[in-house]
Amino acid sequence: MTTFLSSSFMHNIFGGLAQGVIYSLVALSLVIIWQSTHVLNFAQGAMAMFATYIGMTEIDRGVGYWWCVIISVVVGMALGGATERVLIRPLYGKPEINPIVVMVGFLGVLEALAAAIWTSTTRNITEPFSQIYFQSNGHLVFLSSFVIFQILLAIGIMLFMAGLFRFTKLGLQLRASALAPEVSRLLGVRVSRMLTIGWILSAGVGAIAAVIIASGSFGLFPTNMDGIFVAGFIAAAVGGLESPIGAVAGGLTIGLAEQFILAYWSPNVAPLGGIIILVIALMIRPQGLFTKNSSRRV
Amino acid sequence: MNWWTSLSKQDTTHERLLGVLLLTLLTLAITFVLPPVADSQLAGGAAIAIVILGLSWLTGWSGQISLGNSGFMAVGAYAAGIWAHHHSTTPLIFTFVLAVVVGGFSGLIVAIPSTRLRGPYLAGMTLAFSAAVTPLAQNFTSVTGGEGGIFMNSLVTPKWFTHFFSGQNAAISANAQWTADLAIVTAGVAFFFMANLFHSRSGRAMRLVRDNDVAAELMGVNLARTRSMAFVVSAAFAGLGGALYSLLEASVRPETFPLTLSITLLTLMVLGGIGTLSGAVIGGIIYSFSANLVAHVNSLTGVNPTSNLGANMQGIIFGVLLILTMLFAPRGLVSLTNPIRRLLRARPHRATANEVD
Repeated sequence: MTTFLSSSFMHNIFGGLAQGVIYSLVALSLVIIWQSTHVLNFAQGAMAMFATYIGMTEIDRGVGYWWCVIISVVVGMALGGATERVLIRPLYGKPEINPIVVMVGFLGVLEALAAAIWTSTTRNITEPFSQIYFQSNGHLVFLSSFVIFQILLAIGIMLFMAGLFRFTKLGLQLRASALAPEVSRLLGVRVSRMLTIGWILSAGVGAIAAVIIASGSFGLFPTNMDGIFVAGFIAAAVGGLESPIGAVAGGLTIGLAEQFILAYWSPNVAPLGGIIILVIALMIRPQGLFTKNSSRRV
Repeated sequence: MNWWTSLSKQDTTHERLLGVLLLTLLTLAITFVLPPVADSQLAGGAAIAIVILGLSWLTGWSGQISLGNSGFMAVGAYAAGIWAHHHSTTPLIFTFVLAVVVGGFSGLIVAIPSTRLRGPYLAGMTLAFSAAVTPLAQNFTSVTGGEGGIFMNSLVTPKWFTHFFSGQNAAISANAQWTADLAIVTAGVAFFFMANLFHSRSGRAMRLVRDNDVAAELMGVNLARTRSMAFVVSAAFAGLGGALYSLLEASVRPETFPLTLSITLLTLMVLGGIGTLSGAVIGGIIYSFSANLVAHVNSLTGVNPTSNLGANMQGIIFGVLLILTMLFAPRGLVSLTNPIRRLLRARPHRATANEVD
């Protein structure tokens, strides 16, 4: 068993899963926004990065790690709600290019602002758990307490969101207003409030992903979520942008695929891993692998 | 007034040629007046204007959005750079044709899976492409020169051209102006081609696909082919612009084509006006003098240009401008000139039935 756990195969599995859960979180947050407002939020990564900067720099003032995490998530949620109210609300009913362009602009503003306020040098945050790999009988097992924390936290968030959407009254209202806004409004659901809540929840999930990334070896810098956003988007698109389960599965697949391409093929091709998966998935089912019914705009 | 109305309507190829020629000559004349620094800025702006025009065609005419045009630029630039590095004696025109062909081909590769996608999927897919280009260029060191990039011979100013200049810095002024003029002429050719494409059968088919794809399909337009064609043209323009840009810099490096360049391109296109020739011209001019603009804003607000805020002012201004334009004037700066145009067109000239459009 020891040789198996410390084999390079398991190394790649652990590494891929650790990265994959982050992609899954970002993909999940994109799906929540997509479901509520049919906007693909290009600033999702940057908003999370910005919130993480605001929260985690409090460490410098002696605030404890977990308080900083809470501040980051709360700031992220506030930013999400404000964005929906101020930037997205005027664009409902406009061509679908308009919100994309606005959010791309917001992405540019946030990254430039973050670089202006906190400089673009990488900032390392003292992680709450050790990054040192475990050993068993003198062999390295490529798991550290930080990786386990990362995976467990991500799974916890996913389960929490699943429970919220499935079993609570709020979740029912959120799903109803996404599915049939007119009917929901007639039945007394405050649809416009639900849209804002969708953005708030999504931004919260995104902020947690960014906090985990910033606490790890990757560190915090203004563009640190760019690549992760792209991978998260690919994961969500593979699943069809509509399906939370598809997003999670897509994220794990891309995390593992990247790791295995890196290890067994060539590190040079690794950046293309996600695109290759996306192209193949879209060739098979353009509407996404996890979308139940296909619809077409006429 | 009659010559202007016919020009602004741009009915035929002949008139379009005249229009582009006039604009090009005017810009060339301006380069004689400007100081060398402004000339080099204008040269960069001309290269970017070509890229903006390609993006504008894709977004404005075919209704597809791309965040990958900085990637296409990089492809064209590397094609030109690698070729020029090994065959430094090739005529410039050949290098440009190569960049156009290779850029267009990269567009085709991205287009094949992308034409089945709409709006947000497409934007994300092209974003993934441009995000992958920079690491690829950094990794394949043997071909691309890795982080350091490739150096090219700088453009040679012909002897006859330097004769126009005299004085201390004659050589510098001549060089700056020669490169600017070269870039402007290249842009002129590209603009003429696009002006024709706008009004061609493909251009009309493209607009129909954008507005109502079902109707287009019923009319016998091949949706996938038309959408792919839009991508190929857009990428070819980006390739040409990228090649020109890197020739001006005399080097190709991965960091010239970051993800933020795609945002800049999008901003300039939206600012100028999506889907118009004049919008691309405005975008190019704004790009040329954006450094001056930022410096001006910095001095107005009293921000130290070497501070963090000063260094990132351009990103902030461009992002805010992009948001504000999209929210409040989605048709761009071009739309501000609409009242003037209407005034000019109001005069009845040749009132024929086919003018109703």
